[in-house]
Amino acid sequence: MVAPRYGIGIDVGGTFTDIVVYDAGTGRQASHKELTTHEDPARGVLSGIDRLLRENAVAPAQIGRLVHATTLFSNALIERKGALTGLITSCGFRDTLEIGRERKYELYDLGIIKPAPLVPRHLRVGVAERITADGSVRVPLDAEALLQAAARLRAQGVTSLAIAFLHSYANPCHEREAMALLLQHCPGLTLSASIEVAPEIREYERVSTTTINAYIKPLAERYIASLADQLGARGIGAPLFLMLSNGGLTNVDEAKRTPVQLLESGPAAGALVAAHLGARDGGSQLLAFDMGGTTAKLAIVEEGKPTVAYSFEAAREKRFVEGSGLPVRISTLELIEIGAGGGSIARLDDIGLLKVGPTSAGSEPGPAAYARGGREPTVTDADFLLGYLNPAYFVGGSMAIDLAAAQAVMRPLAERAGLSVTDLAWGIHDVVNENMASAARVHIAERGKDPRRYALLSTGGAGPVHAYYVAKKLGLRRLIAPRGAGVASALGLLIAPARVDRVATVARDMRAIDWAELEATFARLEADARSVLAATLPNGSAPDMRRLADIRYVGQACELVVPLPPGPYTPLSHDALLAAFEASYVAAFTRTPPATEVEIINVRVCASLAIAGGAPRVQAAKSAAIRAVKGSRMVYFPEFRAFRPTVVYDRYALEPGQIFDGPAIVEERESTLLVGPGGSLEVAASGNIIVTIG
Amino acid sequence: MAQSHMAASNPAFDAVTLEILWRRIISAADEAAKALRRTSFSTLVNESNDFACVLTDARGQSLAQNTESIPSFIGTLPVTVKEFIRQIGLDNMRPGDVLVTNTPWIATGHLNDISVAKPIFRHGRIVAFAASTAHAPDIGGKVRSVEPREVFEEGFHIPIMKLLNEGKPDATLIKLLRAAVRTPDQTEGDLWAQITGLDLLERRVGELMDEYGLDDLDAFAEEILGRCERAMRSAIGKLPSGTYPFEFNTDGLDQPFTYKIAVTVAGERIGIDYAGTSPQVDRAINCTMTYTFAMTAYALKCALLPNLPNNEGIFRCIEVTAPAGTIVNPRFPASVGGRMATGHYLPFAVLGALAPMMPDRVMAASGSPLWSIIETGVRRDGKTYANVLFFNGGMGATAGNDGQNAYAWPSNVSNVPVELIERNSGLFIARKELRRGSGGAGRFRGGLGQEIAFEVISTTPVGIIFMAERCRFPAPGMDGGAPGAPGEVEVDGVPVDYRSNMVLKPGQRILLRTPGGGGMGPSSERDPQALERDRREEYV
Repeated sequence: MVAPRYGIGIDVGGTFTDIVVYDAGTGRQASHKELTTHEDPARGVLSGIDRLLRENAVAPAQIGRLVHATTLFSNALIERKGALTGLITSCGFRDTLEIGRERKYELYDLGIIKPAPLVPRHLRVGVAERITADGSVRVPLDAEALLQAAARLRAQGVTSLAIAFLHSYANPCHEREAMALLLQHCPGLTLSASIEVAPEIREYERVSTTTINAYIKPLAERYIASLADQLGARGIGAPLFLMLSNGGLTNVDEAKRTPVQLLESGPAAGALVAAHLGARDGGSQLLAFDMGGTTAKLAIVEEGKPTVAYSFEAAREKRFVEGSGLPVRISTLELIEIGAGGGSIARLDDIGLLKVGPTSAGSEPGPAAYARGGREPTVTDADFLLGYLNPAYFVGGSMAIDLAAAQAVMRPLAERAGLSVTDLAWGIHDVVNENMASAARVHIAERGKDPRRYALLSTGGAGPVHAYYVAKKLGLRRLIAPRGAGVASALGLLIAPARVDRVATVARDMRAIDWAELEATFARLEADARSVLAATLPNGSAPDMRRLADIRYVGQACELVVPLPPGPYTPLSHDALLAAFEASYVAAFTRTPPATEVEIINVRVCASLAIAGGAPRVQAAKSAAIRAVKGSRMVYFPEFRAFRPTVVYDRYALEPGQIFDGPAIVEERESTLLVGPGGSLEVAASGNIIVTIG
Repeated sequence: MAQSHMAASNPAFDAVTLEILWRRIISAADEAAKALRRTSFSTLVNESNDFACVLTDARGQSLAQNTESIPSFIGTLPVTVKEFIRQIGLDNMRPGDVLVTNTPWIATGHLNDISVAKPIFRHGRIVAFAASTAHAPDIGGKVRSVEPREVFEEGFHIPIMKLLNEGKPDATLIKLLRAAVRTPDQTEGDLWAQITGLDLLERRVGELMDEYGLDDLDAFAEEILGRCERAMRSAIGKLPSGTYPFEFNTDGLDQPFTYKIAVTVAGERIGIDYAGTSPQVDRAINCTMTYTFAMTAYALKCALLPNLPNNEGIFRCIEVTAPAGTIVNPRFPASVGGRMATGHYLPFAVLGALAPMMPDRVMAASGSPLWSIIETGVRRDGKTYANVLFFNGGMGATAGNDGQNAYAWPSNVSNVPVELIERNSGLFIARKELRRGSGGAGRFRGGLGQEIAFEVISTTPVGIIFMAERCRFPAPGMDGGAPGAPGEVEVDGVPVDYRSNMVLKPGQRILLRTPGGGGMGPSSERDPQALERDRREEYV
């Protein structure tokens, strides 16, 4: 019997399925990319695993764990390819889902379109029942009407049903009763109750989250069950863990129960890798930019951990416009998506300002330089013309680049803007950087922090080319550029701990709190979290348990999520909780207001447990015999307002400990690192390049 | 796109530099807005977004505002800052000063909004103003209703003065304010929330000027405003010159109000005159000129150049006039608390007048002005309370789309969740649904209004003040489209006079039906599939 020392990470994306196998014994890893098989995504995963096991001579019994992340469910939501879903709600409130918050996401567009509800009006049914704000029952649940409604929806083809009653967070009895009745009378119908998905006050946000869960649940159940079964059939007895949007892992049953928690699992894995890569060089406070062809994603890392948000928007009507999506109340690693990528298109707006993105040429037709029919100037075209990218070594030289085509699409725009082609190209580079820096600034302000305390970590194909001047705009001192900037997020899966987040609404003035009841609520959430963790990791040790609460001054609408001192709580805890809130408030907003009444809206428990097997070490850089300097080329720098001969280094030939000054270009297959004059570079033992900004 | 406004008139500001500076200023305003909103006590600010942060140049010309700010304040704040400059004088302003006012005629049109501005200094000279307006949690006086006959009844009035003198708060002003309002902690707290936002905006502008080595913002302002002005002029210039009149009636008081507008296009300028509109009234629905201007400019921008940055450059080509003594330009001391009940009609007046020139880019009337209920009462613990609840009607249809159901227009005020309302209210909400059949029929259908049913469940009586409109005169359709359904206000099943304040006893029921939007084009031309969907979804 061989010890199960291999871990497998699986990341099923919209285009590719990435699989990595990692040997905890030797630190070796091997990876494989497979086209995602959309009709049956498990097929692609399995064929990739088969191949990796075969090529690396790994027996199924040697596998200790499998960890999985995917954007499949998120894509199904965006493309509206989920189940035909029905909604049963309180009588008189079937339109909550459609009415939403009544606020426009764009002020001046007379033809504005609200995001369409996932469940059309004819599939939303109100049933007589009513709980009041204090949790008492005003109207009992009409069981007969409920079953009739379910039967009617079923007859219309509904396969998945969301149940969300008003004030169910205060008293779940009607939703529980409805679930029991439906389970008994409607076998085969997939059910999602709001108290199990998002038991939080604010009916629109709760019903929205619940319907999203219902919409993707049949798909998720089918896929996860099929994957688990087929893995078992191959003799892989190791547990299958699924990554949640919050960057933690859970077990198959929990994932099938509330798949809405998995919506952002793909990007979450990426954020975890970024935090892990940065941590090795002391970057515990990071702005992690992952810049690809269409978008840049920004994660903020505090104390080595990506920050968590408790709500986000899915499937936006306008991708980058806040408020145009469907609200989701789950815990998620905070990722800010910016319409800034290599394919972002440059144009002049109505008053002649240079705009870059969010429209992107994507990879088809792609930038003009790809010579695939792209006719509009993009960021990548500008980067070629500025000498930042090497036409002979793009994607390791596997792609032919047409510089003349890039020139040709720039020229008319330059003429209209009254700029030289070079000034325009630099302008495009500068504006796209500003877009990323602005997004970071506003976001950091929301957290009440100063951007200058962070280091920038750059990943993604376009990231390292833009990172230096983004860091400069934000006033940062340090830039960390990991090797293989397109690091598969599959690796991040193996870093993740098991995790459970639970929430309950309290909605009480702090002075009127029944402390025994509050303690019981925390204890209930903790017990629930513990049991999910125990199911995820049967032989795990004691989990790390944290208590948090959403607290605000009476009259405010936004709560601050406050880390609380550990329990158990008694009436004597009042001052400590208040102090924790005030400390968080001052950190975010510099001063507390004259008001004194404070209320706790929600309480939260965050439980996590590291998974044995440890975080993977990233392979040490192979030292190569060739010299690190590849050559030199003319590169544009804004400091000189001119092109300068600039040394080009081969990333694969750099040795840890090497130090050199900018300006410099460092090339590797997937990306190119640009460092301006005044900057200096050091190759760390980890293989990261640490750039000090000039 | 005309070539003329593309090239820089000042060579220091090319397309790139301008774009970067512009983005930086907007992101600074956004940062300030996030800070303000998150620390505010007013539900109207933090849940309903009733606030704005604006940066003006040293002359009070608006440069940029936070992305999500509401249209009215964007239009009024620059007027207020100019008035600060005129009355106090640049020479009398010091670093650390914060100026304040809520005078309706020079600020937003009613006392409830407090406007503040902070001069931003550089090398001893004022280079810009950070300014913001936010709806106060309470401003004293009669709880907002149409009943006051003069502004004196409407609450605490702050003439133009300094709230902070070189960083030091005016203790007398704060003491008087606290004594005059029902929620002293929250009202004062919100002033500090506004100041937090101004400080942040000031700091960011300073950093930006450091980075770009700017000594003032004048040249940048002139360049960006000039470009916006030229773009707006060129858009106006494409319209056929002439005068385009439009008029309609609204609910009014005992007698309907008449709104008369004449839009005059003269080359590259546009003039809007409201002569013939009803005279001012001794009820609090008069709309001061600042708000009239803001609502008018908003509609023009929607129709002409929706994607243009919103700033003084646009305002320069627009001249708005109204005879003094009308509901759209009342004389002091008219009561003005419910000015939106008048002001929210004006964007439709503008679009109605523009329609013959540009039928594809306007919108039929919406089920606005915004409706609200103000509920006052006594809690079990003996404390008094006041809740403000907002309800939107349906939007009007356009030449390409159905009107959106229950959506805010022209303002952008969101609802408060039912679950939050019921926590702190003597009202139980029995129903809140779309109102079937309320959208005006047409090639494109008007948006649906909504129906909200309440029951008084408190053990003590509850005071109710309605703000409702379009109950007698529905939202008209355009181009042959049908009007939306008129609004309805009932108590215990009987239509009531929604202009009067009421006291309701436990068990009494209120029903609100907000108006639907007007349709666009003849209903005979409606796409059969769309009609089929309307039936299936019970929209009609």
